[in-house]
Amino acid sequence: MSVATAHDMKANMAGVQRTGPRTAAPQSGFAPWKDPAKSPIVRFENITKTFDDFVAVRNVTLDIYEREFFALLGPSGCGKSTLLRMLAGFERPTEGRVIVGGQDITSMPPYERPVNMMFQSYALFPHMTVEGNIGFGLRQEGMAKDKIAQRVDEAMAMLELRPFAKRKPNQLSGGQQQRVALARAIAKKPRIVLLDEPLGALDKKLRQQAQFELMRIQETTGTTFIIVTHDQEEAMTVASRIAVMEKGVLVQVATPGDIYENPKTRYIAGFIGDVNVFEGKVAAITDGYIEIDAKDGYRFKTRSVEPVSVGQQVWLALRPEKIRIAHDQPVSAVNVIPGKVEDIGYLGSISHYHVRTAPGERITALRANSAHTVERPISWEDNVWLDWPVDAGVVLTA
Amino acid sequence: MSRSHSPDLGRWYVIAAPYFWLFLFFLVPFFIVFKLSLSDVATSIPPYTPTFSWSTGIGDFLSKLDIENYAFIFSDPLYVNAYLSSLKIATVSTVLTLLVAYPMAYGMARAPKGWQPTLMMLVILPFWTSFLIRIYAWIGILKPEGFLTLFLMKLGLISEPLQIMNTTTAVYIGIVYSYLPFMILPLYASLEKISPTLLEAAEDLGSRPWRAFWQVTFPLSLPGVFAGCLLVFIPAVGEFVIPDLLGGSETLMIGKTLWTEFFNNRDWPLASAVAVILLLVLIVPIVVFQRQQQIEREAGR
Repeated sequence: MSVATAHDMKANMAGVQRTGPRTAAPQSGFAPWKDPAKSPIVRFENITKTFDDFVAVRNVTLDIYEREFFALLGPSGCGKSTLLRMLAGFERPTEGRVIVGGQDITSMPPYERPVNMMFQSYALFPHMTVEGNIGFGLRQEGMAKDKIAQRVDEAMAMLELRPFAKRKPNQLSGGQQQRVALARAIAKKPRIVLLDEPLGALDKKLRQQAQFELMRIQETTGTTFIIVTHDQEEAMTVASRIAVMEKGVLVQVATPGDIYENPKTRYIAGFIGDVNVFEGKVAAITDGYIEIDAKDGYRFKTRSVEPVSVGQQVWLALRPEKIRIAHDQPVSAVNVIPGKVEDIGYLGSISHYHVRTAPGERITALRANSAHTVERPISWEDNVWLDWPVDAGVVLTA
Repeated sequence: MSRSHSPDLGRWYVIAAPYFWLFLFFLVPFFIVFKLSLSDVATSIPPYTPTFSWSTGIGDFLSKLDIENYAFIFSDPLYVNAYLSSLKIATVSTVLTLLVAYPMAYGMARAPKGWQPTLMMLVILPFWTSFLIRIYAWIGILKPEGFLTLFLMKLGLISEPLQIMNTTTAVYIGIVYSYLPFMILPLYASLEKISPTLLEAAEDLGSRPWRAFWQVTFPLSLPGVFAGCLLVFIPAVGEFVIPDLLGGSETLMIGKTLWTEFFNNRDWPLASAVAVILLLVLIVPIVVFQRQQQIEREAGR
C-alpha cells in the first residue's frame, strides 16, 4: 500500500493531492501512507487466523501510520474484530506477524503491549468508581499516587466526567459509560488506541455526537486510533482511511472519499452507500472514455481510465445523487433513460425516487429538496427521464 | 370496588404464606424452647417444672420461671469452652472449605459451557447418598487400619498408622467434605456471572493474569464468598453428627454438649438454654450478611 508512484511524489512536492480523477470528496493534506519516507506504526504482515476449520482472517497485509484514525469496516463476521484482537494480544495469528513501531509483538502478552482498547461492551469494572476505572491502567505501572490522580483528572476533564468521579459504572447512563471507557483507554497515553464498535450501544443522535468527540480526542491527543465498525457512515465520518473487509479478506484500503467515489468492486460500492449497478459489455474505448452496451439494450458512455478491453464484461456503478431526474426529456444529453416513478422516499432534506425503466430495471435517483415550493413536483406513476453526465459513473470489473 | 379487592387479597396471601410458615415452624418452637430454658429440671414426665396448669393460673406459672440455667452456663467453663471450640472449628473449617471450593468453582465457571451442567451434577451427586452413610464411610477411610493408612503404607510414605480418627483433624475433614457443595454453588454462581471481557480489559491495561485475578475476579466474587461462608459456618457451629462420629471424646463442640445434656442427663431446661444461646451466637453473622446484601442491593440500584 505504501508504494508511491513517481507521479504521486511529483504531486506531493507540488503540494497537490490527487488520487485518480478529481472527486467531490474533500482532500486533506494528511496522507502519510503516500510518503515513502514514513514507516508505519502498525504493520500486519501476511496475517491469517483460523478457528478450527473457519478462516477468520485470510492473508491480510496492512500498514497503519502514526496519527491516523483508521477504520476497519465490514459486516459482522468479516474478521475485522479478530484483526483488532490480534493487535491487542487477545488472539495469536495462525500465520504472519504483527509489528508495532518496528518491533515484532506477535507473541507479546496483552499486558505488555503499547496499545489500549475500548471494548464494545465497555467492560468497565463494576466494583470501581469512575476514577478507579480510569486510573486502573496507571496503577499497574507503579506510578506515584499524586501523578495518577493528576492524569486521571486530565482524562476526566477531557471527557467532561469530573462530576461523576465517585460514581460506580451502574450509576451512569450509556453515554457516560461510553466516555468512561474512552477515558480509561486513553489515560495511559498508549501509542495506539483500539476501538471495537465503540458506539454500537448508543442511539443515533448520541452516536453522532460521540463520533465528533472521538475525532476531537484523537486530534488533541495525537494518538493513532483504530476503530472497528460495521457502520459505513461512522467509518466515513471519523476515519482518515478505511479498510473494507469481506469474509476475512481486505478488499480495499483507501480514504473515505476514494472508497465512495472509486470503489474497487460492486461489493464495496454496495456496502458504502446506495448504488445503481448496470451490467454490460465494453463496446468501444476512445481516449479516456468507455462505451458500454448494457444488458437492457442501452448504451452508456462514461469517462474512465480503467484498463479494459472491448467485449469484456463490466459493471457501471452510479450513485443515486449523481442521476438527474426530470419530467422533460433532456436535450443533447448522453446516458438518458425514460422510466416511471414507482416509489418515493421523502426524507425531508432529500427524496429518493425509485424509477422502473421499460426493460424492468429499478433505478434509484436522489434529489435534494432545495426549493420550498415546486411547480410540478415529481409524483407517483409520473413518466420521467433519468440522465447522468459522462463523469458520474465508475466502471467496475469485479 | 370488589374487582380491585381480589388481587390485593391474592398479594396478601403470597406475602403472608412464608410468614405463617416461619411463625408456625420457627417462632412457636422457639418460644417453647425459650420457655423450657427458663424452667427447672425435675424428675417427672415431662422432666421439668413448672408445667402450666389452669388451676394455679398464669401468674403462678410465670413466677416460677427464672434464668438460673443461663447463669449456670456462664459459670461453668465447660459450656463457654464448648462454644469457643465450636466457633473455632467452624471458622477453621469454613476457611478450609473456601480454599478447596474456590479453585473448583473457578474451574467450573471457566469450563466450556457444554461441560458446566455435568460438573454441577458431579458436585451435587454426593447428596444422593445419605449424609450419615458418607460420614461412616470416612470412618472406614480415616481409622488407624483404614484405607488411607493402608494406601500410604503401600506407597511407602509412612510406616506407622495415621492417628487422624477421633481428632479435630478428622472433624475438619468431615466438615470440609460434607459442606463443600454449599460453598461451591454460590461461588460458582457469582464467578460465572463475571464477564471474561473484564479480565481482558484488565490485561489490556497492563495487569498480569495473577494481579488481574485479585483486582477484578476476586472482588467481584465476594458476594459468593460471603454466601458460601455463611452456608458452611452456621451449620458447622451447631454440627453434631460429624464431631460425634469422627471427633470422638476429644472434640468439644456445642452440638455434642447439647445432645449430652438433653439425652444423657435428661436436663431439658439446660439443653434449651444452650440452644437459645447458640441461636444468638448465630444470629450475629446472619445479621452481618443481611447488611452486606442490603449494601450490595443499594449499590446495584
